[in-house]
Amino acid sequence: MDTQLIEQLGHSRKTLADACGYLQTVRKGEEEGGCGVVGFCCTEPVAGRHIYEPSKQMHNRGNGKGGGIAAVGLVPEQLGVSREVLDECYMLHIALLDPKVRAEVESEFITPCFDVTASAELNKVSDWKSVGDLEVKPPDVWRYFVRVKPKTLDAFIQANEFASMDRREAEDEYVSQNSFKLNQKFYASLGQQRAFVLSHGRNIMILKVVGYAEAIVKYYKIEDLKAHIWIAHQRYPTKGRVWHPGGAHPFAAMNMGLVHNGDFANYHSVSEYLKQRNIFPQFLTDTEVSALLFDLLDRTYHYPLEYIIEALAPTTELDFDRLSPERQQLYKAIQTTHIHGSPDGPWFFIIARNVAREKKLQLIGITDTAMLRPQVFAVCEGEVQVGLIASEKQAIDATLQNMAKDDPRICPVADKYWNARGGSHTDGGSFLFNLQKDKTGRIRMTCMDKFGQAVPMPRTTESCDFTKDVASLRHDRAVQERIDAFLRDGNAAGLFEHLRSGMPRWSFDVMRTAFRTLADRGSAKENTATAIEVFTLLNDHKYPTGAKRRSHILHILRTELDRLFRSLPRITATDPAFGSYRLIDLKTAGALRAPVKGETTLVIDAAGFIAEGDRCDATLLFGAYMKGWRRFITFDLHGQRFHGCGLGPDTDDVTIDLYGSSGDYIASGIDGMTVTIHGNAQDQLGQIIKRGKLVVHGDFGQTFMYGAKGGSIFVLGNGAGRPLINSVGRPRVVINGTCLDFLGESFMAGDPLNGGGFVILNGIRLDEDGKIVPLPEPYPGSNLFSLASGGAIYVRDPHRKVVTQQLNGGKFVELAEADWELILPYLQENERLFGITVEDLLTVDGKPCKPAQVYRKVTPVALKALAKVAALPGKEKKQVAAKA
Amino acid sequence: MASFSVKECDLEAILPAKTLETRVPQAQVERTIAPAPSRYRNELSKYILRRSHDCVHCGKCAEVCPYGVHVRKEGYKLFCEPQSHLCIGPACEKTKHYCVAACPQKALQIVENPMTQFLGDYRWTADLILATWRMAETGHVPPAECGFEHRVGNSGGGFDKLRFKFPDKPPVNVLKDQIDTSIELNRRGDGRPQVRIDVPWYGGGMSFGSVSNVTQLSKARACTAWNTFTCTGEGGYMERMRPYDDHVITQVATGLFGVREETIQRVPIVEFKYAQGAKPGLGGHLLGDKNTPAVAKIREAVLGISLFSPFPFHSVYSIEDHMKHLDWIKHINRRALLSTKVSTPNDVDMVAVGSYAAGSHIIHIDGGYGGTGAAPDIAKKNIAMPIEYAIGRVHKFLEAEGVRDKVTLIASGGLRTAHDIAKAIALGADGVVIGTSEMVALGCVRCNRCESGRGCPRGIATTDTELAAKMNIEWGTQRLINMYNAWREELVDLLWRFGMRSISELRGRTDLLMHLDYTNDVEQ
Repeated sequence: MDTQLIEQLGHSRKTLADACGYLQTVRKGEEEGGCGVVGFCCTEPVAGRHIYEPSKQMHNRGNGKGGGIAAVGLVPEQLGVSREVLDECYMLHIALLDPKVRAEVESEFITPCFDVTASAELNKVSDWKSVGDLEVKPPDVWRYFVRVKPKTLDAFIQANEFASMDRREAEDEYVSQNSFKLNQKFYASLGQQRAFVLSHGRNIMILKVVGYAEAIVKYYKIEDLKAHIWIAHQRYPTKGRVWHPGGAHPFAAMNMGLVHNGDFANYHSVSEYLKQRNIFPQFLTDTEVSALLFDLLDRTYHYPLEYIIEALAPTTELDFDRLSPERQQLYKAIQTTHIHGSPDGPWFFIIARNVAREKKLQLIGITDTAMLRPQVFAVCEGEVQVGLIASEKQAIDATLQNMAKDDPRICPVADKYWNARGGSHTDGGSFLFNLQKDKTGRIRMTCMDKFGQAVPMPRTTESCDFTKDVASLRHDRAVQERIDAFLRDGNAAGLFEHLRSGMPRWSFDVMRTAFRTLADRGSAKENTATAIEVFTLLNDHKYPTGAKRRSHILHILRTELDRLFRSLPRITATDPAFGSYRLIDLKTAGALRAPVKGETTLVIDAAGFIAEGDRCDATLLFGAYMKGWRRFITFDLHGQRFHGCGLGPDTDDVTIDLYGSSGDYIASGIDGMTVTIHGNAQDQLGQIIKRGKLVVHGDFGQTFMYGAKGGSIFVLGNGAGRPLINSVGRPRVVINGTCLDFLGESFMAGDPLNGGGFVILNGIRLDEDGKIVPLPEPYPGSNLFSLASGGAIYVRDPHRKVVTQQLNGGKFVELAEADWELILPYLQENERLFGITVEDLLTVDGKPCKPAQVYRKVTPVALKALAKVAALPGKEKKQVAAKA
Repeated sequence: MASFSVKECDLEAILPAKTLETRVPQAQVERTIAPAPSRYRNELSKYILRRSHDCVHCGKCAEVCPYGVHVRKEGYKLFCEPQSHLCIGPACEKTKHYCVAACPQKALQIVENPMTQFLGDYRWTADLILATWRMAETGHVPPAECGFEHRVGNSGGGFDKLRFKFPDKPPVNVLKDQIDTSIELNRRGDGRPQVRIDVPWYGGGMSFGSVSNVTQLSKARACTAWNTFTCTGEGGYMERMRPYDDHVITQVATGLFGVREETIQRVPIVEFKYAQGAKPGLGGHLLGDKNTPAVAKIREAVLGISLFSPFPFHSVYSIEDHMKHLDWIKHINRRALLSTKVSTPNDVDMVAVGSYAAGSHIIHIDGGYGGTGAAPDIAKKNIAMPIEYAIGRVHKFLEAEGVRDKVTLIASGGLRTAHDIAKAIALGADGVVIGTSEMVALGCVRCNRCESGRGCPRGIATTDTELAAKMNIEWGTQRLINMYNAWREELVDLLWRFGMRSISELRGRTDLLMHLDYTNDVEQ
């Protein structure tokens, strides 16, 4: 947009604010901390009840003082309007905190300026208390489909000298200004708030309450209302007795809704930046400011999305240096201009937009440069495509599970889960899903990062037809007989190998019946252990699947494994004839007892358990440990936390196997036990871990092993930010993927060659066939091993891609023979667990290499700031000097 | 799985056997007041009593002096060096027992000790230090005639500008021995144990590494005697502390040094140290010199390296992260009360109510006046909100939110005397945490060299074995027990003057306070 128009826009907004008597003081009305956020988009319109489950899943990320949802891409028939009206008209949603005020609002802000095509009050439950999860009665909400009266718009354009502006953009501006005026009159300027605009974009609806987000679905009866994009927010404000939902998320700007997880440190600076650009917040929260910021960069400056993201989350340090020279020049200009408007501190945005001018719907997730809030992206490919963004993986799983119930074309296991690396040169810390019609008129989804690079998707395309019931499928007698033969021998490895090798050839139907057979046979006590082991191997390993989607195979075998677990003898059965496994669930938790002779393993069905507290399943596990149980399997997890915590010292005889969406703080503080996570793990794993073994068959989240003291840890995949900070003692860790940033900051774990700790970073991934593929960079971030004073990082980096600038207080040294002897046993165990062979790791570009050619060692340098030894007594001084 | 309340005998039901095995019989320490004179031959004194060569050792001075300044040991002919620190100074002139006047030889002279001009600082004046020593020695508030200003310092702000408006006489006559100074720490009613401490204060966190074994143990023993708590700080849980488990708060601080499940499971209170008021935004740090072999061992870190605790917790960037963090510790220790220690930023009220919502039993706000020599000068007093503002703000905010009686508000940061404690409570706190006063009771001279070289020249805040050997545990314990007693006596006297039966009646009574800069009231 030309600068003159930008100035005129600014002038117009300033004049408006002055006319409304806007008070120019910057203040912040409410504080809030972390929250739960989730968003998903789908090529098919999805019913509102599917935002209910993930919201419920994130219940404990909010405190019931504010919840909200937004829907973009609605279905015209359900709203009683034509497609054209839905696409072209603005959908005004106005919250009436005081129902009596409607006539006044309409006569002043609707009827004089708008042509109203349709209007109605949103349906609602008559008794709000019956809904539950609501703190106060939600506002009455009125919806209006409107266009600005042509004469009104003409006058507006003339008065503001917008003649050169696109007429639709001028109309957008009019609508925005009208909402500003309405809010100012009925909300911001009053001692008491009476009404405010929830949303005013096209084809978008925002609803908020004082309560939990899921209550909205019930209260406004939108269980069946369909939309292509839904976002939801559980709020955790910490101040004020909130009695109206004005401060709840999502916040609206033109054609968009934004939810936010975090808290800016520089709210005042950002507000000041906006004020200088004639943008005036009315709701005094940092989320509103975020929406306004995005709207300013988008609608006033007409920045492409990439620039907007750069202005919000600037690229810094080494990542900046790795940008192309053109991008560096461009980003420098953006940063110079907009750094004061860049939100500082922890934040994660999910934005749902209607990009009307390009006829597409968009769902965006953006993380801050430091990645201080958790975030997970996921995608489900197929005939129906789903893109998902959430603060916790279990919210994604809950959404997919729920959607799969309605539409069997959707698989509850996503094809891909990943994290964004904030402010990076690789993905820019942001991913977006676009919904757009293809040539045939079908809506298809594309997924790309900040730079517009498409996210690579699995090449397998064959989907399983989940509409068919397994029981109705014909069993393949030959397959069944082979399974029985292996089971008779108790040969799990052989059966796994057999099933695995059959996978590329078999149809989904054969596979499903085979797994069903295995599950059914497994309920017999002599087969249980073998069957569980086979399912577990199939779940944990990667292998060629032909053209079949791995996600669908995983879903099938996980379903069958859960079936097997649920068929095991209940805790109420005490007869040793029933074998060594006992099943306990929410209903039978009260019957927990000590194991009798022959009983070895307690299988805990986690379905329905809350995530924490005296009634969570980890507490049940603790209780079982106190009664003498030592081996545990917990399955069908939905983000429950704290498994393995609290069992105290010397638990070498304890093993815990976790299946499903495990939660935060798993294996924290363990001292001796073995914990295995059969899938992706979440945040804060292995805090202060003392001793024992933790195996993760997937990725892990933030602040892994903070303050760890020891333990042997094996991770198949990647880690998010800030792993192994402040580790001391002797933790020994193998990470086969990589980590986002700050790996091993302030590592203080002695001398690895003399009993200290270390991290082996392999920097590889397994492709879809289970083959080793090196990552583009073994460690892409900055601050590797920064300010470390002990321990070492062994990084697999044959091409010497990690550079000194990435270290901050570390140095590269040659890998010695002693180093290799030290790490080899760990790589061998890694091979046993994940099938990643030492031989393959030592093979570079097809050629076998020596360890020292492949691995590099990072050791701490003695920083002056850290080592003040002057005043130590002579003997100790010598000791320190010798170590340095 | 109903909620529960834990008694001693129930520990078996909630602690894993291996943790219980690490539990040792709990030590009892008698709450006896006994003299604990200076461990130096000549205690620093406010006045010096000089004896000239004209003295004929007639003994007249010893006869008149009621304070024991003049000592002639059994069987000796000559008098010892006068015990000047017991002398009340020129104020004695008006009395009948003024030795200078009584001396037939005019051999005695009282002069002000020039050292007092250099002892202490504006916050901890020489008078305050000397008075605290006196309390630690005798177990009682120094008598008025000693002339110590023992209630306030001379900082020109903060508590030094606040005074109580005492009525001319007590409005109700309460018997002093019926006055209750105890406070309850668990107000949530969540089934976790009720924990009551006999005095409205407990000891602040000072890690092994920052102070010596002897210092840490003396604190633990005094707290055991007074049925209150001491805190391990973040440097790990010393084995020697185990006989005092029931009176120990262990810290989960940002460095997580020495934190293990069994250390968390041992104690009745776990404190989350998010920040220190003396140095908000900086985290703890232990400079290389003090990271001796013993410290390096307990922290499992590298010898001689400066140990920095990050700021903030890397795992907590929001209130809901904080809740999760608390839930984790609650899961590990099913009887523990949780305390959240934060500094006092501008939005401390919001932080406090958020911590309550997340499940804290105790909200501990730490203002900017405190801090030993290890806190950088640039940070002390200059970042955090003054504690006297923060207390009122948080107290009122919790009241407005309707949760004031569900949470215990503890204030700290430069509380030096019983009067400071009473003022903090009158402003709205339930109780306080003390730190530096205990060091002073043990002989600290506020030289501010805590962090340098081998540490404290007085052998208090040091890990140097030679320096630490200058003090023994029995003496240290007695000094602290004595100081606690003097403080409690003073609090009881203060409540008595207001006609109050319990310290909880004083909470939030700002109407009883005046600020010297903003009042026309005449100071009494």
